[in-house]
Amino acid sequence: MNREMTCAEARSQFWLLEYGELSFDEEERIETHLDGCAECRGARERDKEIHAGFDSLAVDPSASLLRECRAELEARLRLEPPPRATEPGWWEQFASALSARPVLRLVRAPVGALAMLALGFAAARLAPSVLNSHLFPGAVQAGMNRVRDVHPFSNGRIQILVDETRQRTVSGASGDPQIQALLLEAARDPADPGLREQSLDLLNKRAPSSEVRDTLVYALRHDDNAGVRLKAIEGLQGFAAEPEVRSALSQTLLSDSNPGVRMRAIDLLTGGEADLNSGIGPNLNLDRQVIGTLQELMQREDNAYLRQRSQRILEALNASTEIY
Amino acid sequence: MALHAGLQTDETTLIRAAQQGDRDAFEQLVRAYDHSVLRLAMNLLRSPEDARDVYQEAFLRVYRNLANFRFDCSFHTWLYRIVTNLCLDHIRRKKVRREEATVVETGESSLDRLDTVAEQRADTDPERRLFSGQLRMRIKEVLAGLTPRERMVFELRHYHGLRLRRIGEILGASEEAAKNCLFRATQKMRAALVDFK
Repeated sequence: MNREMTCAEARSQFWLLEYGELSFDEEERIETHLDGCAECRGARERDKEIHAGFDSLAVDPSASLLRECRAELEARLRLEPPPRATEPGWWEQFASALSARPVLRLVRAPVGALAMLALGFAAARLAPSVLNSHLFPGAVQAGMNRVRDVHPFSNGRIQILVDETRQRTVSGASGDPQIQALLLEAARDPADPGLREQSLDLLNKRAPSSEVRDTLVYALRHDDNAGVRLKAIEGLQGFAAEPEVRSALSQTLLSDSNPGVRMRAIDLLTGGEADLNSGIGPNLNLDRQVIGTLQELMQREDNAYLRQRSQRILEALNASTEIY
Repeated sequence: MALHAGLQTDETTLIRAAQQGDRDAFEQLVRAYDHSVLRLAMNLLRSPEDARDVYQEAFLRVYRNLANFRFDCSFHTWLYRIVTNLCLDHIRRKKVRREEATVVETGESSLDRLDTVAEQRADTDPERRLFSGQLRMRIKEVLAGLTPRERMVFELRHYHGLRLRRIGEILGASEEAAKNCLFRATQKMRAALVDFK
């Protein structure tokens, strides 16, 4: 049998009783105590009064504040790329499929080894024929020309309509609008990373403009060549305070496959390593988005240096190093 | 129950559409929860600017990570987990900077959250008014004295009506831990307000 509850014990539970967070047994013990204790019944009434007093302290955000928040969010979302899932790799999917069934789990190791052997064999067989593009000179030429139409004749001949790329030389000063337009075009050339990098380099030396900024942001977000992305970050230094640029840098920091690019991104986002080393601390005006990015980085970053950088900055800002 | 199941299905449909990049679906999700998110941030941080920051950051994080949301928990729990932890970070930083203040700016003008007690208890009796004023002051001290986690649990239970089980899920703790936290918070408040009984 339970011992009787003391007054102090009963009163300590009043608020939990009010919230309905006690078990049936706990409630019963309090009710039993209250039945026989007039003082505690009085204390319970006063507790209820104070408890209710807290209700009046709640503040509802104004309608205008909510509207402003929604408008700001809408504007910021426009700058965001569409959500993209981190798809598990084929090996994770393969291993997951094997793990899912107990019977398959038993054969996971031998099947895995067999799969690796088969993959190696297939790669050795296929790789040379795929990689030796000189065996298919026509394919290389196709990059220069484009077949628009094919028309067979009754005499066995075939007529092909080909779009040909003709070369011409354009020269001018770096400020020439035509040169500028061609450089912007070349910076997005899908076929030649060297051309893209050189074009960005030349654009970076020009006075900042929104077209240049957009091209640099595009390169940072989408170029598959790390050298080009590094060149883009270099050029974005003059735009580092702009929200769209910060958003692109945050995305790069979290998702770029190249640690060197991520290092440059964190430098530009947070004001650089020099500030931390000087003892002054990082730029304390870092916005919440950057702090959130750094916290997220702590969770997913494999590179020890980047994790350490991020941790030092967060600690200097008295921000948690965790994400929730 | 059927209604709840229907709403859940609708929400699941919205989430799946948003995961595919449907901005309208995402906006509907935001609209379903953003008022309570802003209210939570406002009450905990007592500053519209900080609340606005939390609002933006929370929904941007949701947007960026939505594609990886696997329905391991409810969307509400996931969202609140993000919001509460952003708020906890804010509170901790504020405490360090000694910027703690109980003044709430409502957007239009500054308002002391605790002054509303007096309005609610409009009393012509001077003695009673004095009592209310003292109670207000004491409540201010009590709330400021709670740890960030205690304040969070108290806020979620008292003002948002969430059960301790859900609060535990949101904070990544057990129901028992949330209960202990709430117990500590209420004990501190009872102890501080003992003179008013």
